[in-house]
Amino acid sequence: MTKVVEISPTTRHEGHSKLTLKVDDQGIVERGDWLSITPVRGIEKLAIGKTMEQVPKIASRVCGICPIAHTLASTEAMEASIGCEIPEDAKLLRVILHAANRLHSIALHNILILPDFYIPGTETKFNMFTKEEPARSVMARIARIREIGQTIGAITGGEAIHPSNPRIGGMYQNVSSRAKQKMADLAKEGLVLAHEQMEFMLEVIRNMQNRGFVEVGGKQIPIPKTLGYHNQGVMATSPMYGSSSLDEKPMWDIARWKETRPWDWYMGEVTIDLEDPSYPLGGTTKVGTKANPRMEACNGVPMYDGQPVEVGPRARLSTFKNFDEKGTFAQHIARQMEYPDCCYTILKCLDDLNTSGKVVADNIPLGDGSLGWAANEAPRGTDVHLAKVKDGRVLWYEMLVPTTWNFPTCSRALAGAPWEIAEMVVRAYDPCVSCATHMIVLDEENKIVAQKLMQW
Amino acid sequence: MMIEDPYLGRYVTCVSARSTDKEILKKAQDGGIATALMVYALEQGIIDGTIVAGEGDRPWQSKPAVAMSREDILKAQGTKYNISPQISWLKEATRSYGLDKVGITGVCCQMQAVRKAQLYPINMRDIPGKVAFTVGLFCMENFPYKSMQSIVEDHAAQSLSSVKKMEITKGKFWVYTERGNVATVPLKDTHKYEQPGCHVCLDYVSNLGDISTGSVGSPDGWSTVFIRTKVGNEIWSRAVADGMFETKPIEEVKPGLDLLRKLAKEKIDKNQKTIEERKTFGVNKALRNPYA
Repeated sequence: MTKVVEISPTTRHEGHSKLTLKVDDQGIVERGDWLSITPVRGIEKLAIGKTMEQVPKIASRVCGICPIAHTLASTEAMEASIGCEIPEDAKLLRVILHAANRLHSIALHNILILPDFYIPGTETKFNMFTKEEPARSVMARIARIREIGQTIGAITGGEAIHPSNPRIGGMYQNVSSRAKQKMADLAKEGLVLAHEQMEFMLEVIRNMQNRGFVEVGGKQIPIPKTLGYHNQGVMATSPMYGSSSLDEKPMWDIARWKETRPWDWYMGEVTIDLEDPSYPLGGTTKVGTKANPRMEACNGVPMYDGQPVEVGPRARLSTFKNFDEKGTFAQHIARQMEYPDCCYTILKCLDDLNTSGKVVADNIPLGDGSLGWAANEAPRGTDVHLAKVKDGRVLWYEMLVPTTWNFPTCSRALAGAPWEIAEMVVRAYDPCVSCATHMIVLDEENKIVAQKLMQW
Repeated sequence: MMIEDPYLGRYVTCVSARSTDKEILKKAQDGGIATALMVYALEQGIIDGTIVAGEGDRPWQSKPAVAMSREDILKAQGTKYNISPQISWLKEATRSYGLDKVGITGVCCQMQAVRKAQLYPINMRDIPGKVAFTVGLFCMENFPYKSMQSIVEDHAAQSLSSVKKMEITKGKFWVYTERGNVATVPLKDTHKYEQPGCHVCLDYVSNLGDISTGSVGSPDGWSTVFIRTKVGNEIWSRAVADGMFETKPIEEVKPGLDLLRKLAKEKIDKNQKTIEERKTFGVNKALRNPYA
């Protein structure tokens, strides 16, 4: 008999989300819904009427984990709308900034997922806060990788979190030759550490994949071979940086995108009738509680070719590098494989960077209201921002952030997994929930959605 | 052993000194202490670069700059009696300039700002540990650029472009020009041009610098130097051992610490009074006391 169990909130990722799961007698998920319960930020509405210079700064405030991706995607969406080409050196600085952000974000994600994994050859899971080896030296390495990523980001971006240097038309200033050398030295140090960390993580992940069972809340839970498999397809715009509507060959197609409501995708009201007080930490939601995912979801459901798609490292690798594994472990593997790429990209861009080159476009048009979009491959997937700018003011603005794409996709990927390890599936997407909150109120007929949404 | 003085702050030692570098002395305001110290720290690798009051777009306008070579530091020599927002470059120095060890020269309030930024690094991420060496200057008050322009061009009737040196000493504002003119303005005429913030400042000798220096208390061409912190003491000892400075005990020079203490007392007591007055100024709400 189908029972409903709810894990709320999910832990060890950014933001607040929950899992509402219909499970069979063996505890295997038949239908899963993973949804954002972070309140809507309203950035897209705040943006209207603001100057195009302001909006990227506001948009980046949606979250502190990948503000660089938001700043860059937003800035480039404005540039795409007004039709502004930026100088080569500004582009290089942006790519360095982007790669530095990805480097430290992957390392951060390592800290979040490692407690799910076993130290190879033992029956002990990682505790990242002990002084015991190997956790201590791994943690030290992660901290250094993050420091390197953030320092490089601070030099090119002016600030590692919410960068101040990117602007419409390029960057505010170029870096000094001393700063360039410093970044190169850091990236070379980072490259060695990134390789070590990647090798270590791959060993840990493969070890986990080859285990039959994992212990959750004192119970042995089997790990299916198909953990996290789905048939939703993948979407990526570039192996490293991104794409925009100004590109010669844009890698994202606005005609294939459609925004739908959580109402259409998530399940209706259910009553929780399965509860496990031993589930870490503090047990699952109490029996008898009502849940209503289609009403509670604070995320949108964007479709690409009529279906939700997966974005992220696995999507990038399978689109551009023929990576053919699927599922939760493949996502982890793909993410670790991006480690060295970040450092190589930084070093290559630094080779090409001219520190006395100009970094602001000579001509920055004010815009005629035409639509522009820019996709930035954030650490956790494709971050698409769309904008219409007229006379320097934003008329319309939309953010399609990575985890928004992943919410409905991951919900499907939950099917077939024991519910106790559903959170592991979620974490493999490196979810960053707070930016993924999104609200649409009006549909084509201008009423139905609003009525459904507003019944509180 | 630390000496504590209510008007001169805490310091390890105080000496009268001047640089032994001929090139520095040529353009120095007094003893060339700040310039020589920063050049020395740069050459010894104690700092990677320093924030100085460089040349602005207009004559005698000062504009903060990040100097990463001896030449750049020397370009910023001499006192320019107008505001140079040094701390606005503190963050940028560690960002696009790529500095890890930043030196800062500045006046009293700027030393306060640096220490505050180190203590509460709001919007100053990663800055506290990167401030390697600070040299504070004695400061009675400062002027906005336009005020200085009025003093020099209207009161002293000299063209700013031909001014060679400016100085405040012996109760007057002195202007020396390229062609040998010397004009003075009594300080009672310049007071109204001071920036108001200076009237609540309770620091005359940069109590919070690693080393603080200024002309008052020493003979012409020499500077009074307070060595205040461990960092300052170490750099100063090394620099003196390396022959960068000639020094004389402050007790043996005229006019000596007494004059300095007298001026410091004058400034602090006067400004303390302004702060007291501000307590009762305004409707239902006092003006802010920056030290409260």
